[in-house]
Amino acid sequence: MATPIATAYRPAFWRTFWTNAILAPRTSLGFMRLDFVLGTVFIIPLTQMVFFAFVVQLGNGGSALIEFTAVGNAVATVTYSSVFSVCQTTDTEKQQGTMEHLLVSPANRFALYLGRGLIPILISFATVCVGLAYAAFLFHVPIPLSTIPGLAISVVLTALAMVGFGLLLGGVALYLRTSIILGNIFLFIGLLLSGVNFPVSNLPLPLQYIGDALPLTWGLAAIRGAIAGDSLGTLGYLWGAVALSGIVSVGLAMGLWGFFERRALATGSIARF
Amino acid sequence: MNDDLAIEVRDLVRTFESRKGFFFGEKTHTEALKGVELNVGRGAIFGLLGPNGAGKTTLTKILSTLLLPTSGTVQVLGHDVVKDTSWLRSRIGLVLGGERGLYNRINARENLRYFADLYGIPASERDRRITEVIERVDLTWAADRRVEEYSRGMKQKLHIARGILHRPEILFLDEPTIGLDPKSARETRKLVRSLVVEGVTIFLTTHYMFEAEELCPRVAVLSKGKIVANDSIAGLRSRVGGDRTIEVEAYGFEDREIDRLKGLPGVSKVAGEAFGPLMRLTLRVRTDDTTPETVQGLLPGHPELSVRERRTSLEDIYLDLVEEEAQ
Amino acid sequence: MTLATSEASRTRATGASLRLAILLFVADPQWLVPSTVAPIVFGLVSFELFRGEGPYFLTYAILGAGMMSMWGQTLYGSGWATGQDRNLGTLEPTIQAPTPYLYVVLGRIIWNVVAGLFGGLVVYLVVVLAAGGPPQLPNPLLFVVLFVFVMVTLASVGVVFAAAFVYSRYAGFIQNVGEFAFYIGTGCMFPVVLLPFWTNPIALLFPPTWALDALRYVSIPGYAGFGWGWGWDLAGAVAVTGVYAAIAGTVFTRVERHVLETGDLSDY
Repeated sequence: MATPIATAYRPAFWRTFWTNAILAPRTSLGFMRLDFVLGTVFIIPLTQMVFFAFVVQLGNGGSALIEFTAVGNAVATVTYSSVFSVCQTTDTEKQQGTMEHLLVSPANRFALYLGRGLIPILISFATVCVGLAYAAFLFHVPIPLSTIPGLAISVVLTALAMVGFGLLLGGVALYLRTSIILGNIFLFIGLLLSGVNFPVSNLPLPLQYIGDALPLTWGLAAIRGAIAGDSLGTLGYLWGAVALSGIVSVGLAMGLWGFFERRALATGSIARF
Repeated sequence: MNDDLAIEVRDLVRTFESRKGFFFGEKTHTEALKGVELNVGRGAIFGLLGPNGAGKTTLTKILSTLLLPTSGTVQVLGHDVVKDTSWLRSRIGLVLGGERGLYNRINARENLRYFADLYGIPASERDRRITEVIERVDLTWAADRRVEEYSRGMKQKLHIARGILHRPEILFLDEPTIGLDPKSARETRKLVRSLVVEGVTIFLTTHYMFEAEELCPRVAVLSKGKIVANDSIAGLRSRVGGDRTIEVEAYGFEDREIDRLKGLPGVSKVAGEAFGPLMRLTLRVRTDDTTPETVQGLLPGHPELSVRERRTSLEDIYLDLVEEEAQ
Repeated sequence: MTLATSEASRTRATGASLRLAILLFVADPQWLVPSTVAPIVFGLVSFELFRGEGPYFLTYAILGAGMMSMWGQTLYGSGWATGQDRNLGTLEPTIQAPTPYLYVVLGRIIWNVVAGLFGGLVVYLVVVLAAGGPPQLPNPLLFVVLFVFVMVTLASVGVVFAAAFVYSRYAGFIQNVGEFAFYIGTGCMFPVVLLPFWTNPIALLFPPTWALDALRYVSIPGYAGFGWGWGWDLAGAVAVTGVYAAIAGTVFTRVERHVLETGDLSDY
């Protein structure tokens, strides 16, 4: 019996990873063009920060609260390039009719999804950096140079965790008709429950618990902590929490992709959109 | 303008512009149609053949008002496709087919009702007409099922139902039997023929030569954006060198044997094709002077020789024309 | 003889499009979740942020959050539906029908207005629940009438957004990038007069800016706004909406011509 060429040359982990890392941004992540990337990195953070600054100003929130929302929104805008764009891949694949081909391939799923996260991680990192630069220069948030190393670690971890969370939602969306619903929900929920515009402590306790399950909450806390010059011990705890939320997200994502892949194949929803 | 013509195309050029690359990209231009000239008479089936990428869908879209020409004039039913779009759209039916183009989450009846309203089919006739077209494409049993549950063939039938829903005067069918099982494909061809009896002009693009041969008294071949032939099938047969084809198969032929065959009376063309060690020679023959027996007599020393005669098919003609154009 | 009519079908096309929007929604009611979650989130966020605004902070919160969620539903919903037509491949047959596409868009916008009002109602309930009581409204009836009127002005902008989706498959991305800029420019959460003066003339090009100013005048005593009173605001809103309605046909004709020229009607 002839050996299938796909088995004989089953794509290696890194080959699958890099293929997806390079191709996915243009085929299914929505970053088809450079101007899209620039818009995501430079315009979305600016307009969202200005918007909430004016809202706070109208609510007589004072400069401290303006600084608070500026940092909050600088980080929250990462949701577009991480959670939203990554989980949107599921929709795009379904609409293009490529999802079934993807699932039927022998490619390592972990490498495949991880690869898809690479460019979003880089764009998310850039978005937070630009957002924080706006916070410093336009909204006068004091960011001492000494805090930069801690801030950099916080930003990298946040970008990683958020993309992991996007992968998780993308897995759930496999079973749904559309992933944009999930993306939208978490875009909004992040604004409310993650301490973007006001401290999480203002929320009722049950909502705080929900907020604790979101990587954005911990990422934002770590970034705020780094800017405030918190001790390494405090930052270490927050970094651990961000990393854990990211690892749990990716772990759950892998499990859910498998589970929902089977559910979707069983119900035939794999091709529905 | 000739009133007998359903379609009149003069010097039609269509260029597409696209960008390459991630960094805004450089512009590239592709000329899909390069000066197409075409006349199609009313009330008949006209077939447009051509290899993939020849420009068939581009031409169909221009004729059905979904794409503007870059230059040239195009008239359908005596009206300009650029200026009289609104008038034409109510009289044109278009079937592009494929998996897309339908609302998957609702059923066939609802899909048709939506388009019936967009076409302004009188409310008093709408439901009856929907039932009629659903019956006509044999989808009654599935009419109330969501389209997402349909097979590819069922979707294709629904595309056709939508195309004929408003009783168009001219129907553009782009690969109408693609994805259909043989029985459904035959029924579709029957449906197409019945539409012609009702006075509908059909403009059909297809890859299936037997389909074109069965349906179309007249065909055109589009290759690399140009019409390379436009004639009746008999006319095309004579153009490619005869309506008789003799096929000769053996394990190799010598050059002098091939030359001998070329010299036979009425033989206009001898083409060779290899299938591993087996070689097939195809002879186009204009007259009755050359027969399989004559051919066999010229090729002694081939114990495994096989000679048979058949009518030159549209596929032969098509391949000859496309090959000719490529050279 | 063809059964299709090219002139008499416009109202029917709008009705059919509205019906289709409802059918598609019923077939996939998952959209209820974000349509409800977004107003709840906006309601609670604005409740928190406007706490310091004084006695009428509840009205500010309701107006701000209500507008945010209605903006999303009406404006983006209208464009999104056209984007879906692209994805499904139904944009080509719809454009190929004799009814101008504008009338199809109108049907969807009517549905989005209804969905937007649902969002507004959710915001109202959330803020009232959070505050433990309803806001003080000097003229509740006029408030409701103007609230609905704001939706009409939003719908007129929704038409332009939908045209953008016909124009380009990338409209969704541009919309995401411009979302907060539009919120700022039209004063959905805070009065436009808070912005630098040079931005005001630009903001006044959008009908909702006028209508919202009028709504704030009638519901927040002492509201300064543009300073010319709600009557002029209303007149301005009607005039600018009229201009939008008048040019909508031309905009769609031009956009349709553009996509027929470029040939990217089937791109998605």
